[in-house]
Amino acid sequence: MGVDAAAWEGLVSLLALIDITKSFGGLVAIGDVSLEVRQDEILALIGPNGAGKSTTFNVISGLTPPDAGRIVFDNVDITTRKPHERARLGIGRTFQLMQPFHDMTVLENVMVGELFGHTTPKSIAAARRDAAEVCELAGIAALMARDVGELGVADLKRLEVARALATHPRLLLLDEVMAGLTPAEAARAVDMIRRIRSGGVTVLLIDHVMSGVRDLADRVTVLNFGRKIAEGPFDAVARDPAVIEAYLGPEGGSGS
Amino acid sequence: MRRAGAGVTLAVLVAAAVALPFWAGRAQPYYLQLALNILIFAVLALSWDLLARTGQLSLAHAAFFGLGAYASALLVTLAHVPIALGIAAGGLVAVIAATGLGLLTLRLRGIYFAIATLAFSETLRVIAKQMRFTGGSSGLIAPPLLGGSLPAQYLFILAILVAAVAVSWGINRSRWYFAFTAIRTNEEVAGAMGVDVVRFKVLAFAISAAFAGLAGGFYAHVFLFINPFEAFSIATSVGALVAPIFGGLYSTVGPLIGAAVLRVGEEILRTKFRSGYLIIYGLILAIVILYLPRGLVGLWASMRRRGRAS
Repeated sequence: MGVDAAAWEGLVSLLALIDITKSFGGLVAIGDVSLEVRQDEILALIGPNGAGKSTTFNVISGLTPPDAGRIVFDNVDITTRKPHERARLGIGRTFQLMQPFHDMTVLENVMVGELFGHTTPKSIAAARRDAAEVCELAGIAALMARDVGELGVADLKRLEVARALATHPRLLLLDEVMAGLTPAEAARAVDMIRRIRSGGVTVLLIDHVMSGVRDLADRVTVLNFGRKIAEGPFDAVARDPAVIEAYLGPEGGSGS
Repeated sequence: MRRAGAGVTLAVLVAAAVALPFWAGRAQPYYLQLALNILIFAVLALSWDLLARTGQLSLAHAAFFGLGAYASALLVTLAHVPIALGIAAGGLVAVIAATGLGLLTLRLRGIYFAIATLAFSETLRVIAKQMRFTGGSSGLIAPPLLGGSLPAQYLFILAILVAAVAVSWGINRSRWYFAFTAIRTNEEVAGAMGVDVVRFKVLAFAISAAFAGLAGGFYAHVFLFINPFEAFSIATSVGALVAPIFGGLYSTVGPLIGAAVLRVGEEILRTKFRSGYLIIYGLILAIVILYLPRGLVGLWASMRRRGRAS
C-alpha cells in the first residue's frame, strides 16, 4: 500500500506516514500503514480496540520508533527526531489516559508547553500570560489556580488539550478526548475542536464517539489489525462492508 | 509582606550561622563540631533532593561523596595541589562520574534506577579497597584544611551550603522547575510537550553530584583520614535521602530542616540512650515517613492553613 501520488495532487500534505511498520514481539501493531494528513483538515482515525491507533499516535509523536517506514512533517523527514524536537517543530498531542503533572497547578501544567514547546525561549512571565490565554480557549480558565487532583474527567480532558495547545502545534493529535464525557460535555468538546481548527491548527483525532467523529471529521481513516482498511468521508466509510465487518464481525450485524 | 518576612528570616539565619564560630569557637567546640556535621549533612541532603526533583531517586550519593574525598586527598598528597583546589577538583570528578552514570541509567525507573546507582556506589567501594594507590582497606591520610582551624573549616562548608542553597532556590524559580517537575511526574508527556528529558536528567545528575563531591572533599580534609568503608558508606546514601523525605521533598527548606533535625535528634538520643538509640531514631523516622508524606515542611504548611481557617 504505497502512497498514491495522484491522490495528492492539488492538496497540501502536512504529515505523511509512509509504509510504517511497528511490531511488539511477534505482534504486528501496525503493518505497512501509509497515512496523509492535509493542511487544515480534521482527519479521524478509527477502528476497533487493538487496531493500532494509539501506536500510530506514538509513532507520529516520537514515543515509539517504527521498525520500518518514514515520517514526513511539513516536508521534513522526522523519522529519527526525538519527541521534544517534534513538539517544537509543531506536533502536539494529548494522551488517552489523562496524565496531568501532579505537584503543579492547572496553569503550571499548561506553562510547561509554553516554556518548552517552542524553538524560541520564553520568559516565565510571558509563559504565564500565554498559558492563561490557552486555558481560556480550552474552557478551563476558572480552574487555573487549582491542583490537578481536584479536577474531574471532563476538565482533565480539557487540560490535556490545553497542554498540547500550549506548544502552539500546527498538527494536533487528540487521543479520545470525547470518550467518557456526557453528551453535553462531548458537544462542548466538538465546539472546542472546531474552534481550534479555525485557529489554523490541523487535527488528527482518535475517537470511539461516532457522533463526534461524524460531526467533526472531513475524512476518516479506518484501521483494523494494524492495517488500513478504508479511507474517505464518514458516510462512505460507514457503509463500507469491510468496515462493518471489522466492527461487527463477519455476520455484518445482520442479526440486529 | 511575606517575601520581606522571608528575606529578614534568611538574613538573620545567615548572620547567626556566620557568627556561630566566633561565639562557640573557643567556648564550645563541641557545638561547633556538631554544627559542621549538620552542614555537611545538609549539603548532601540538598544535593540528593536536586536530583530527586527529576524523579531520579539515587542511592549513589555515597559514590559522589567518596569520589570527592578520594580525588581531593590523592591530588593534594600526590600532586601537591592546594587543598581548596583539591576539594573543587573532587567536585569536578564527581560531576564527570555522575554524567556517565546519568547517561547509563536514563531508561531505568524507580527501584531499578535505585539498584543501579547502589551497584555503582558499591563497585567504587570495592575498587577503592582493592587498589594500591587508594591505600586499600587501610585508606588514606589527608592534610588538614585551613591549618586545622575548626571555625575556618566551619565557614568553608557554610559557604558551600550557601552556594547549594542559591542553586536550589534559583532552580525552583526558573524554567528548570517546570522541566524537573514535569519529568518527575511523567517523562513521556514532558517530552511530548517539548522538554528535552535527557538533557535535564543528566544536568540534574551533574549539579547534584557537584555538591556531594565538594562535601566529600571537605570531609577528607577535616576528618584527615578516609577509608573505603566510611567514604563509600551506604549510610551516606541513605542519610542523603532520609533528610529530604523527613524535612520535605523538592524544596530548598525541607532538606535543610530535615538534616538539622535529624542530626541534632540523633545526637540527643545518642547521649540519652547510649545503647539502642538507633531503634528510637528508626521509629521516629518511620512514623514521620508514614504519617507525614510531605515531611516537616508539609506539617508546618497544613498547621498554618488550619490556623488561618479557624
